[in-house]
Amino acid sequence: MSGNASEGTLEEIRKLVAERLALPVQAGMGVDGVVALRALNGNVAPHVFQKGDDLSELVIEPKYPLMTLVSKLHKRFPQIRLGVVARGCDERAYIEMAKRNQIDPARLTIIGFACTAEEAQACHCLEPYPKQLLVGAPPAPGQVNPLVAEYDAMTLVERRAFWRKQFEKCIKCYGCRNICPECFCEACAMEDKAWVEPGLLAPPFPMFHLIRAMHMASRCVACRECEAACPAHIPLTVLYDLLRRDMESLLGYLPGADMDAKPPLSVTLEETPLRTEAGH
Amino acid sequence: MGVEFEPRIIAFMCNWCTYAAADTAGVSRMQQSLNVLPIRVMCSGRVSPEMVLRAFRAGADGVLVMGCHIGDCHYSNGNHRTIKRMPLLRNLLGYTGINPERLELQWVSGAEAPRFVEVTEAFIAKIRQLGPLSQEVME
Repeated sequence: MSGNASEGTLEEIRKLVAERLALPVQAGMGVDGVVALRALNGNVAPHVFQKGDDLSELVIEPKYPLMTLVSKLHKRFPQIRLGVVARGCDERAYIEMAKRNQIDPARLTIIGFACTAEEAQACHCLEPYPKQLLVGAPPAPGQVNPLVAEYDAMTLVERRAFWRKQFEKCIKCYGCRNICPECFCEACAMEDKAWVEPGLLAPPFPMFHLIRAMHMASRCVACRECEAACPAHIPLTVLYDLLRRDMESLLGYLPGADMDAKPPLSVTLEETPLRTEAGH
Repeated sequence: MGVEFEPRIIAFMCNWCTYAAADTAGVSRMQQSLNVLPIRVMCSGRVSPEMVLRAFRAGADGVLVMGCHIGDCHYSNGNHRTIKRMPLLRNLLGYTGINPERLELQWVSGAEAPRFVEVTEAFIAKIRQLGPLSQEVME
């Protein structure tokens, strides 16, 4: 999914990172380190860049959910102040994580950059840039995954056949969960044998996928990482996109859009009312 | 086959309203079908998506989630979570090809024993029409 970020973008990001690292840590935007990707010996991995590090090693590809690392660092080091080089989806992930106490907004500075139009298209991303946009200009957004509409038009029987074929490919590697920035529960329902039987793959009844989809309903920020990580190429986000759409129409909630909007499934009807009678 | 299909229904009932209604219905000798397996929970808000899914996984042909009317929840607003969660779960079932009509949310207060019978009988009839879930997913 390489979008060929221009050298200019990368240079600007490195410059901003250098500036943040040069500031005294106590100052508003000063940081102990900046979380970003580092290319080293032909490989790319997340890294915490600190004062004195070689910033020419900082890269922005491939796309990787860095907020998971930010969250781990914030929990492990309760004083640490971090910066993070973030795409639109990273920022959306941050918003959903922060409101669930996984990241401390007071200790994080976002160095946001815009994705390329090609990346936006590949990700079916409708907002391929962060609100705190420091580098680059908003590109043309991608389009809703055509599978969503195609799928919506299918009959129940066709849908069943479609997903059965998809879920049959699942090897239950938990890769979708592991890569997901929004999967941070300490006890995972998908590891509880009351809900997901060990030693059994998804069909005939896909507990694993249904539970995950349901848990994603108020959290999925459409970063597409699960789909990219899936070794079986299951179009998971088609399912999550449908639920995202429902969240918006039923509860007016779009995950990742608003830091102040509370997770609607956890609060009362007074706080987040249902928009329709929902058939009852 | 010859043998008529008897739907198996799992009904989650809240302790404070629906279970009391079911109890009254029983004590009052109201005529009821035997297809409903009740599971008492303290609040309909306790019924997680996992519980509903497991009921289907375990062979239920239909799942009823029942609790106090909005405004009457013993815990003030436990059922507020239920009313938001269930439509999403119904939709999700539909997206993966399971008829969403197999899951229903109904409010039945402690004083509504006749309504309890009405609601469960109507649901049983509906599921009888739909046929066994295994026809849909388990084959």
